[in-house]
Amino acid sequence: MAGVTLAEVGLTYPDGHTALTGVDLEVADGEFVALVGPSGSGKTTLLRTVAGFLAPSRGTVAIGGEPVASPGAGVPPEGRRLGMVFQQHAIWPHMSVGANVAYPLRRARRPRAEIGERVTEVLALVGLDGYADRNPATLSGGQRQRVALARALAPTPRVLLLDEALSALDEPLRDQLRVELRSLTRQLGLTVIHVTHDRDEALALADRIAVLDAGAIVQVDTPERLLHEPATPFVAGFLSDATLLPGELTDSGFVADEHPLRLARDVVVGPGRGSGTLAVLPGDVVLHEGAPGGEEGRAEVVSSLYGRTASDVIVDWHGLRLRAESDGRPVVGARVRPEVRRALFYPDVAGTAG
Amino acid sequence: MSSAVTVRPAPRRGWRADSFTGVRVIVWLVTAGVVLTPLAAMVALAVQGDQFALLGSEDVVVAARNSVVTSLASAIGAVAVGTYLAIVLDHTDLRGRAALRLFALSPMFIPPFVGAIAWLGVFGPTMGVNRVWSDGFGAPLWNIYGADGIIFLLTVHSYPLAYLIIGAALRRIPSDLEQAARIAGASGVGALRDVTIPLLRPALVASFTLTFVSNLADFGIPAIIGLPERYYTLATLIYRSIQSGTVAAPLSVVSTIGVALLAMAVVAALLDARVNRQHTELDSTAVVRHRLDLAGARLPLSALTWLAALAITVLPIVALATQAVLPAPGVPLAWEHLTLDNFGRALGLRSTQVGVRNSLMLAGLAAAICAVLGLLVGLVTTRTRARGNALLNGLAILPQAIPGTVIAVGWLIVAPTLGLFNTPWLILVAYVMAFLALVVQAVSAPLRGIPVTLEEAARASGATQTRALFDIALRLAIPAAVTGGAMVFLTAVRELTISALLRSPGTQTLGVAIFDLQQAGNYNASSALSLLVTIVGLLGIALLAGRERN
Repeated sequence: MAGVTLAEVGLTYPDGHTALTGVDLEVADGEFVALVGPSGSGKTTLLRTVAGFLAPSRGTVAIGGEPVASPGAGVPPEGRRLGMVFQQHAIWPHMSVGANVAYPLRRARRPRAEIGERVTEVLALVGLDGYADRNPATLSGGQRQRVALARALAPTPRVLLLDEALSALDEPLRDQLRVELRSLTRQLGLTVIHVTHDRDEALALADRIAVLDAGAIVQVDTPERLLHEPATPFVAGFLSDATLLPGELTDSGFVADEHPLRLARDVVVGPGRGSGTLAVLPGDVVLHEGAPGGEEGRAEVVSSLYGRTASDVIVDWHGLRLRAESDGRPVVGARVRPEVRRALFYPDVAGTAG
Repeated sequence: MSSAVTVRPAPRRGWRADSFTGVRVIVWLVTAGVVLTPLAAMVALAVQGDQFALLGSEDVVVAARNSVVTSLASAIGAVAVGTYLAIVLDHTDLRGRAALRLFALSPMFIPPFVGAIAWLGVFGPTMGVNRVWSDGFGAPLWNIYGADGIIFLLTVHSYPLAYLIIGAALRRIPSDLEQAARIAGASGVGALRDVTIPLLRPALVASFTLTFVSNLADFGIPAIIGLPERYYTLATLIYRSIQSGTVAAPLSVVSTIGVALLAMAVVAALLDARVNRQHTELDSTAVVRHRLDLAGARLPLSALTWLAALAITVLPIVALATQAVLPAPGVPLAWEHLTLDNFGRALGLRSTQVGVRNSLMLAGLAAAICAVLGLLVGLVTTRTRARGNALLNGLAILPQAIPGTVIAVGWLIVAPTLGLFNTPWLILVAYVMAFLALVVQAVSAPLRGIPVTLEEAARASGATQTRALFDIALRLAIPAAVTGGAMVFLTAVRELTISALLRSPGTQTLGVAIFDLQQAGNYNASSALSLLVTIVGLLGIALLAGRERN
């Protein structure tokens, strides 16, 4: 096992498209880090840079303290002693399950007897005892992904890279593999970097999550802190579906631009004053049904999706699409009065106002 | 959806629900008749003639050995070159891949017998390179006549097809399979060896069988390169038996040799089927295409590949052009000797004019018949459910696995019975049999891709089954059938193997006319005609490629 250090990693494709800009990330030995972000944010590019399939144009990548990539010099993927699981499992169809798992061991020139033992051991680890002689074509999607995991674990890699490894699986199975992946990697003390577009999966699995946007890391933190103390309006919006609206914070409270929303100062979390962006997390909104109030307090339910813990409700509040969690399932078209119990304020950074 | 989908509000009179049975029966009869009649006649005559002792005669044994040696060696060479090209062109960062691909494919656009005439101008004992070499070193560099020349030319003219098959298979292999090997510790070359090449095996075998069978049948190359050294293959031996008149029962003899050729083709097809049965399913889709970094080998490999591809493209065309503008072989290339008389003389010959007319007519008719019949075969086999559909499809594409020589021999045998002897229609039916598969394969994929709901919508709108098939599936597949027909035309118009064996006075094709000029020693006129054929062919293919792109 080993940690991974990325220092000021930048990557520009030959066509001029910039995929990564100055990424700094420190993954500790034995840590499970998830990379999330919208499509095109650079999370897959970052993973492939660590794997060695892409070479950074700037900055350095080090694994276990040993530099593996810097501009003009790099260790090829086969020299990095990593394990990787791909979205479409990438099981070699012309080899048996056992031969697939044994392949990295053969490349590492381990003795034959040791290879046999290790294959049996890792297949048992992923719950596929006795599958060594099977043809991969006879396996289900979930079993193939387990073979891919066994193959990645077989040579005891320094770091395990997961590229949307669970995304191609169907829902109940994905949940089950998620649980197994978490317990297996914790039990083995593996360093893991996991790319996913599924926010809940990242929250469920990772020790820390790195949120990427436009090729840069916006925030790296534990799941709890990301949810409750998002560093920027983007993180609040991306991870928690927060409603964002511009306005002005003064000592007496928050006044929204072009919207009737007014909040007392003690409800607003955040430093400073002046103009900035307010982020309202859905869990901090209460919808009062049929409650009396002024015209500015009226809102109309435009969408209402039932959920296990709460309904996911969107109301139209004087042109603002406000997202809220609600215990019941409000009817679309119902009149409600939203109450914001807590909100996060982010002052505009000089030069980016507006 | 395309505007070609027209849904009619109500069925028209004249189409009955069961009328498609009639279409099916006609398609079956025509296809089976065209494909099975000559084969059955050939086998029957061989059995009846009982000339199997002949297979032990020295002539036949030597020719059979020569056929196997040249076809096998050239098929192996073609697959090796094709694999190399597929990997460096589609899988590495070699310099100038797009342009290099065009140059590497160029031999495909030149008929093999024209290639033979052209390369004769490069490596003939007293021509081109050898002439220069002899002046300097006192002996020729390499004499193209004989087995090595035949193998070289067959390889040159069959590797482009091997490359196309292998390259297509390579592009279907998801790149994450190779990346998984890299992560597992394999080098770039190691991943190629352990993952990519094993997965290419079905394509390697398929391209090997295809090039082996087509090289087994080729007549032009062994006739032009082999005969001067009395090096016979089965194809040229059949030609000699028919033409010379020295054999007592020529048809019986050639049918026996034809059965031997057919047996070789069957062995190759069985091998192919055996490997394909073990084929592996590739179910994941490719992500980012990852090219192998050649690093230090990039420049030398690029230079070497470019040099070879340029030589193979430019040398024969330069040789043809040089021969075409000189009055006689051996005249030095100097400004005052240049002449365009060869073109005038070659085009003014009556045999050339008849050949051009025959080739255009036969290729045009073959293209039209193949397009219609192929479209109907595709329609029946992909859009209806019936027992025997697989068999019908197999029948239609079977001739692709049969040497053209065998097809010609079969038709030669049935010709008198059908009253086709000494008519150009004999060549036409042989063309239809040989090239039907081109159209069937061109229309099958698009036909299979049409959602069944399009036809169901027509049925719901009141069309009968036949009506729906014709209005929806058939119309949507017409562009593919036209492309297939154009391929038939381009192949048939430059064909030599079949028309040389089925020639009779007045039915010679353009290929036969050029071949005769060459055999008569009129190298410069044959080169002039060959150059014209090459240029016209390249233009036709450019047109077809432009059409495909739109």
